[in-house]
Amino acid sequence: MSKIELRGVSKAYGATLALRRGDLSIDAGEVHVLIGSNGSGKSTLCKILAGSVRPDGGEILIDGKPVTITGPRSARDHGIGIFYQELSLAGHRTVSENICLSDMPVTRAGFVDRDALEARAARYVALFASVAGDGFSADTTVENLRADQRQLVEIMKALATEAPVIIFDEPTSALDRAQVDRFFEILRDLKAEGRSIIFISHRMDEIFAIGDRVTVIRDGETVGTERIADTNPAAVIRLMVGTQDELAPTNGAPHATAVARTFVLTLQNLSGKGFANVSFEVAKGEILGFGGLHGQGQSSVLRAIFGVNPVASGEIVLGGKTYAASNPREAIRRGLAYVSGDRGRDGVISGRPILENVTPIHYLRQKLRLARPAALADRVRPALEALHTKFGGLGHPINSLSGGNQQKIVIARWLIDRPDVLLLDDPTKGIDLSAKTDLFALIRKLAAEGMGIVLYSSEDAELLNNADRILVFNGGSVRRELTGADRTRYNLYQAAYEAA
Amino acid sequence: MTATTQARPPAPSPVLAFLKQPLVVALALIVALLLLGEALSPGFASAQQILRLLIVAALLGIVAAGQNLVILGGREGIDLSVGGVISLSAIIAGNVMNGADSGILPAIVACIIAGGLIGLFNGLGVTLLRIPPLVMTLGMLGVLQGLLVVVRNGIPSGLAAPGLSQFVTRPFLLGLPGIIWLWVAIGLLMAFMLTRTVYGHRIYAIGSNEQAAYMAGVPVKAVRISLFMLSGVFAAIAGICLLGYSGSSFANVGEQYMLPSIIAVVFGGTPLAGGKGGYTGTMAGALLLVILQGILTTVHIDESGRQMVFGATLLLLMLFYGRGRAMRG
Ligand SMILES: Nc1ncnc2c1ncn2[C@@H]1O[C@H](COP(=O)(O)OP(=O)(O)OP(=O)(O)O)[C@@H](O)[C@H]1O
Ligand SMILES: [Mg+2]
Repeated sequence: MSKIELRGVSKAYGATLALRRGDLSIDAGEVHVLIGSNGSGKSTLCKILAGSVRPDGGEILIDGKPVTITGPRSARDHGIGIFYQELSLAGHRTVSENICLSDMPVTRAGFVDRDALEARAARYVALFASVAGDGFSADTTVENLRADQRQLVEIMKALATEAPVIIFDEPTSALDRAQVDRFFEILRDLKAEGRSIIFISHRMDEIFAIGDRVTVIRDGETVGTERIADTNPAAVIRLMVGTQDELAPTNGAPHATAVARTFVLTLQNLSGKGFANVSFEVAKGEILGFGGLHGQGQSSVLRAIFGVNPVASGEIVLGGKTYAASNPREAIRRGLAYVSGDRGRDGVISGRPILENVTPIHYLRQKLRLARPAALADRVRPALEALHTKFGGLGHPINSLSGGNQQKIVIARWLIDRPDVLLLDDPTKGIDLSAKTDLFALIRKLAAEGMGIVLYSSEDAELLNNADRILVFNGGSVRRELTGADRTRYNLYQAAYEAA
Repeated sequence: MTATTQARPPAPSPVLAFLKQPLVVALALIVALLLLGEALSPGFASAQQILRLLIVAALLGIVAAGQNLVILGGREGIDLSVGGVISLSAIIAGNVMNGADSGILPAIVACIIAGGLIGLFNGLGVTLLRIPPLVMTLGMLGVLQGLLVVVRNGIPSGLAAPGLSQFVTRPFLLGLPGIIWLWVAIGLLMAFMLTRTVYGHRIYAIGSNEQAAYMAGVPVKAVRISLFMLSGVFAAIAGICLLGYSGSSFANVGEQYMLPSIIAVVFGGTPLAGGKGGYTGTMAGALLLVILQGILTTVHIDESGRQMVFGATLLLLMLFYGRGRAMRG
């Protein structure tokens, strides 16, 4: 009998179906791996088990008995502990306090029993003593820790639940080799004690090193479970890809040979925070795609080119001249444009009229001093119409528009004075389908007119359908270049999940 | 994630929205307060008295123009040093002109340079050293106060030139003295600058979303420094006018303008968070405060009592706008 079983569990956030149908069964004494691309619903499934998200439908059985998990407390009572992907630590508290956070030992008088707390925490801190690194001790405040050390604390916190079932949602993403090895030793001990582990990672080597079985989840559906011993990475990736591969690539337009191409942007061994030795060139009229899992350096490279993030070494050549990116202002003057996917942070000037949201780049590039509304409106309207933007009047605040239309306003800002190179950093995050369609139609048109475009998208279909070439990022560097018929989802996943 | 593709209609009832506009509220209050003043002490709303109120409002309004700009620029922008700048400027002007009309121009130049420099220091501290504006300008206020004590021991307080006094107190055009016209001109200039110039749009941009403005090529630091400089310059101009109003400069004349300059801005519809609002409202706010001050004086509430009332007003305003935001959001 399975220790834990999920049958048809589902969850929707508003209109987003995060989990369509989660079927999963975990045995006692096994490490069960969940794998699936970004946004496929892994964390949602975990949170449902951990009680921090209530499912919309389906059944959960523990030791064969149906249960209802009503909240984190109830999950603990049912014997489920969790490591949260986004961590659940109290920054101002010490490592010890965090480890015992979910179950503080109290004295008879009802006060926190410091001695018991320290003693309990010390056991878990000791587990990682050899690999935790400098500046790590039981009484360090968590906010003073490095990212990997915080992840270790979250691991300790999960272990401290001593629950029969422990979920680890991407516990290794910031850990180094030695830390991962130590963690795996501990997992093996837990297994030997008969405990059940759910383990999520995007690293194929880790999955095959520690897993007993693997369940693939695709677009919110669990599509298959295999014994690790009976499968291989290629087969797992095929499961992740499914039959969708036949749909791509659609954008087979072969581009001109290298001789005839003029490069508008060239990177030579560019390194900086979050990426290393990135080299590529973008030709006039080309759409170069950046692919791979989230946070593998794609955004960092784009932001470095645009002068937002510092460059440590390497060279950027823009329009035939070397270029040292120092700030966005300089980048804009040199003909670069950068559309961020985080429009709330980097794009929308909230509370201000639509007109003012479109014009900043125009002011800069035309060296304007006066803002004549009539003259500006003549420039702004066509740019907005090209994107099929729906808006009441140019004087209305940008906040009066829907998210997709706000993003169109921000994009229009970058296109009103035509740049030479357009950097798109996951530009369609959170916008609806018709807005996406409009956007990509425009992007292709701009490319056809000679603009050089770099497109990072977290949606594989967008990349496969629109990019002429795709650079797959993995661990901060370009793992593979996909061109022509190689631009398949399978190849994309393979390079993305390959061990570093 | 299904974003609606239609623009939402702006506000449900235009009449209600109009009545709720801070500017309308302020103007209604101005009339109400004038009537109240007249009721409490007949003659309060006489032409003579109103003219006097207008002059004081102009003084406050000029200081508040700079305060307004700094606050609009966001990132907790505020200039507490204006009081010190006003006092210093009054002393410099008094000593440079020392009762002679020929000294007016040099005095103006000297004061504007001094105000601009102080603003520059504020701006540099806030942008380059990343000192919070509240702390930076409060520190600057302390420095200026110390400086004033030192200066005062060494040199006389100085005398206003007759021309300056006339500019501030004697009718010049349509029965109104020059300072009122100066204030009107500043009002027009500010409105033009904020709505029709690239610089104005950049001020709103950094006040509303500094990161987005930076990404769009706005020289965020330069703009912010310039705002503090403008605030220093406006305070310096107010200092000169204040000298003209009182004839000679006396200790810490400027101090009592600091808090009201902030209240005028907030009352005029510019939230302390910045990024929206404008100067027209601030002008109404300045008028209102001066009338309120007049009423308080009429009913024999002394300076400390007035400051208490102002402080309480500011808190009330914050509450009012805070709730408004919560209801809208
Ligand atoms: N709180 C939320 N509100 C709205 N949508 C959400 C929320 N949490 C997740 N989603 C959406 O649900 C889908 C599944 O998200 P989930 O976090 O489960 O993915 P995941 O498989 O864990 O991805 P990753 O590998 O990036 O961690 C995504 O489309 C995500 O955008
Ligand atoms: Mg996740």
